[in-house]
Amino acid sequence: MLKKHPLLGFIIFGFILYLLGNRVDELRVFQGATVGIYVIAIASIILLTGYSGQVSLGHGALLAIGGYAATLSRIHWGLPVPLTFVVAVLAAALGGYLLGRAAARLSGPYLAGTTLALAIGLPSIANQFTQLGGEQGLPFDIGLPPSSLGADFTQYKWFFWITSIAALVSIYWLRNVMHSRFGRSWKAVRSNDVAAELAGINIGHNKVLAFTISAGLAGLAGALLAMTISTVSPGAFPLSLSFALATGAVLSGVTTLGGVMIGAVTLVAIPDIVDTVVHRLESSEVVANNLPGFLVSALLILTVLFVPNGPVEQMRAQHEKHAKKK
Amino acid sequence: MIQFINALLISIGAGSIYALMAIAMVLVWRSTRVVNFAQAGMALLSTYIGYELIQVTGNFWISLPMAMVLGAGISALVEILLIRALIKHSTSGPVAGIVPIIATLGLLGLIRATIGFIWGNQDVQIQPPLSKVGFSVGSETLALSPMNLLVLGTVLAMMLVLGFIFQKTHLGLSLRASAYSPEIAQLAGIRVAAIRTIGWAIAGAAGAAAGLLQTVNGTGALSPDSLEFSLLLTFGFIAAVIGGLESLPGAVLGAFILGLVLAITQIYISGTLVFIVAFVLLLLVLLIRPQGVIGAKVGRRA
Amino acid sequence: MARSTRRKLTLTSAVLAVAAITASTLPAQAASDPGLTATTIKLGITVPMTGIASPGYNKIPGAMKAYFDYVNANGGVNGRKITLVIKDDQYIPTTAVAKANELILKDKVFALVGTLGTASTKAISASTQLARRGIPSLFVNTGFSGFADKKAYPTTFSILPSYQMEAKIMGKYIKENYAGKKLALIYQDDDFGRDALAGFKQAGVTFGTYIPYASGSQSLPATGAGWISKLKAAEAEVTVLFGVSSASTAALANAYAAQFKTQWVLGSVGGDATTIAATNKAYVPLLTGAKGFSFAPAPTDSSDEYIKLFQSIYSAAQPNQTFDNNVVAGMSNAFLAVQALNAAGSNLTRANLIKVIEEKGATFASPFLTPLGYSTTSHVGATGYWIGTYEPTGALKPDGGKYTVFTTDSGNGDVVLSTYKRPAMPAKGLPN
Repeated sequence: MLKKHPLLGFIIFGFILYLLGNRVDELRVFQGATVGIYVIAIASIILLTGYSGQVSLGHGALLAIGGYAATLSRIHWGLPVPLTFVVAVLAAALGGYLLGRAAARLSGPYLAGTTLALAIGLPSIANQFTQLGGEQGLPFDIGLPPSSLGADFTQYKWFFWITSIAALVSIYWLRNVMHSRFGRSWKAVRSNDVAAELAGINIGHNKVLAFTISAGLAGLAGALLAMTISTVSPGAFPLSLSFALATGAVLSGVTTLGGVMIGAVTLVAIPDIVDTVVHRLESSEVVANNLPGFLVSALLILTVLFVPNGPVEQMRAQHEKHAKKK
Repeated sequence: MIQFINALLISIGAGSIYALMAIAMVLVWRSTRVVNFAQAGMALLSTYIGYELIQVTGNFWISLPMAMVLGAGISALVEILLIRALIKHSTSGPVAGIVPIIATLGLLGLIRATIGFIWGNQDVQIQPPLSKVGFSVGSETLALSPMNLLVLGTVLAMMLVLGFIFQKTHLGLSLRASAYSPEIAQLAGIRVAAIRTIGWAIAGAAGAAAGLLQTVNGTGALSPDSLEFSLLLTFGFIAAVIGGLESLPGAVLGAFILGLVLAITQIYISGTLVFIVAFVLLLLVLLIRPQGVIGAKVGRRA
Repeated sequence: MARSTRRKLTLTSAVLAVAAITASTLPAQAASDPGLTATTIKLGITVPMTGIASPGYNKIPGAMKAYFDYVNANGGVNGRKITLVIKDDQYIPTTAVAKANELILKDKVFALVGTLGTASTKAISASTQLARRGIPSLFVNTGFSGFADKKAYPTTFSILPSYQMEAKIMGKYIKENYAGKKLALIYQDDDFGRDALAGFKQAGVTFGTYIPYASGSQSLPATGAGWISKLKAAEAEVTVLFGVSSASTAALANAYAAQFKTQWVLGSVGGDATTIAATNKAYVPLLTGAKGFSFAPAPTDSSDEYIKLFQSIYSAAQPNQTFDNNVVAGMSNAFLAVQALNAAGSNLTRANLIKVIEEKGATFASPFLTPLGYSTTSHVGATGYWIGTYEPTGALKPDGGKYTVFTTDSGNGDVVLSTYKRPAMPAKGLPN
């Protein structure tokens, strides 16, 4: 039944999240909001890299565009919060469109390096114009949760609800796009671009569209990120964010949307677990500083070595092997 | 007038540093066809080893070639232990694009953390082997010092030696073939896996030299998080793209063009625009002449 | 077939997540403020311990802990021992917020102390709603003047003088000592540097040459050389450096390479000889004759009773580390925190702590040579600077042989010569 009505599956999952949100403490709720943001951002990379085959090492820049767009539209035009998110999506999508046009002719290392250069260069623009707030950043305040939800309803729970709804809607929408003719054309180009072109698919347009949609999603994630830290600043979108998202996509299985939760949860859970472990060990400062980085990197390498396509694909492959045996 | 001469000299000095990075990039790309963050990590590790060697021997000139040899060895080891396993396990398709990049990123993180464990997170210092004071012409001091000449000389030497290896030797041909088309190279009788290891070793040696020289040419400070590395790598990449990612002389030329443009921006326009100008230059090259200044117009399906 | 696998996977992970979360139990809500027991006080700090901004700053928590341990070994604060929980935020605001949330919600600290970085402090304050929760954020490590604003940040207290204050004092010094000379200013092109521009404007100083640099570009090869060639062309006689220490090292090293001589005037952020020495000790002699600004006693001044005490404590706690300005900054921060906690007396609550700093903070013992400005209307910390000249050893010696301090505010107030006399250190540097 769930297979025939995926919407039902999403609604049920949303209900589970609602229950979870009421049961857990504030730190988990805040982390849950962060997971939601990562889900959207990682999905955008899965679309761009897994489906459309374009490698981006600088997605953080697109998140930055979204975050700044939302913040500025709220500060200067006083837009209500949902509209600021719309502005974020549109602004980032525009950026993605332009980037996609420029990148349509690039492949492999050229694209990776260009996006890398963008990720490094874009935040420095914030220092050029005082309206962009500079290194200190600009405040992004979405206000308190509505009083109808009760006095006990914390700010972080409000963030959790907003990001969860945004994530559910985005993934559902993206899933539909992937199953539409656009998704099929991306898959076709991915398998064999020469054949796809012969079949009438305009590869350039195809790639630009993927970039635009991916950027729009990234912009939404960026706006949500700004919401959770209540500010935007260049430092909030560092190179390590772009790398973390790419890592999350690989951990999820970059070719399929199904595992996106895994990557998102891992990105949030691992630092938390490592932090607990390190504090339990009561080790020297040198070890405490470097052990988290070591463990995270080791985990990444092991995952890439043994589960390079991501756990979902791995399970599917094993399932098919099983089915064939029978 | 003298300011203009100095601006030129400054851009040559900067260009040679970018050229070191660009040569390393092109080398790695041509011999492995992977965007390789791990090489940056190994260059960093080799630089630390160079530091230890200098502490022990007290002599930069002995330590530099030793560090290069060790750098080559470590790179080869990493290739044998890790990369072969990686290539065996990964499939083709879009996964082949991003997965190795992420794996090498993980390796970089591992190397950084290990360096932090061994040497701590504070700076260690390497003093330059040559003077950084500029040559004087009459009462004027030029923006060119013995240290600048050393870097420039190393760049030219690397370009010539590596260019010779790649273009004129059988090894170089095997390297290029194995990277470009492993299956066909294997059919032609080339032992692809061994060749790849050699490619990584060469890149490791070059990286060690680049890391050491770049460090002593700068402040001489070294830490696991040296900002210099990630920033300069990107600029090295931009330089390599300007010249054409496939060509070593192109990388050097691209680096000097970049150095000139940035120096002029900083001295005659404004120092705040450096990153934006670099990025715009990159975009312009990619849009107008993506094969680079020297590269031949070739369908890039690689 | 595959889709049901995916469904199974998602549901399984959801069930696992629920199980894991419900497995972590919440401790019972204590009657007193969190982070306090009858015998302990838990404080938390977020600071870059790794990452590009970490060199130097990552010594601060160790220095703080050294002083806290010293106090603990001598009876603690009103019978309570202090523990410091240290979190690495890598100078990234999102990480800083996540770590601050861990400190507040998981480790349940009593107060935050020494939060570093303007963007991170702003993000933490807004996102974790420090004001609404009433959590004190003591003595933040940033020169942003906004944190002294009690209305905007009711539970946050500054400790460093703002960059604007420093530029105003520098400006007055330049006007009085270098009148008629060709002036140049190298500054970082972001809020840090622009605060300085505002301060110089208020002081009425205009420079002949302005050289802004993009933050991060100072480590690129051509940058420093480019500055010097501009300074040479302008024949600058006095050059002010209002940037970070990597910019100062770039300027000094390239000036030496070009054999360019000028009177350097270094801001406190980039002018710390100890940070420059940590980068490359060969650069320290290049500081000779340069003017430096500070508000604490120089770390090389062993005749100062605070420095002597801090040196002995630190060399016992961290024998392998050098004693420098970062250590002085950390231990001063910890010292002031202990004074505040002590002053709150036996009825130690978050609200009381904030109140006592406002009411009595200006009279707390402190190593600083400038008065503290805490009051019921302002949360500003140190309010001035003394000026010194660097010796070839890197020691900053006060001009005139004694610490002459100038104070001002972050607004339009004048720069005045201070008559503040630092009170004697309490016995053994312990809370009494």
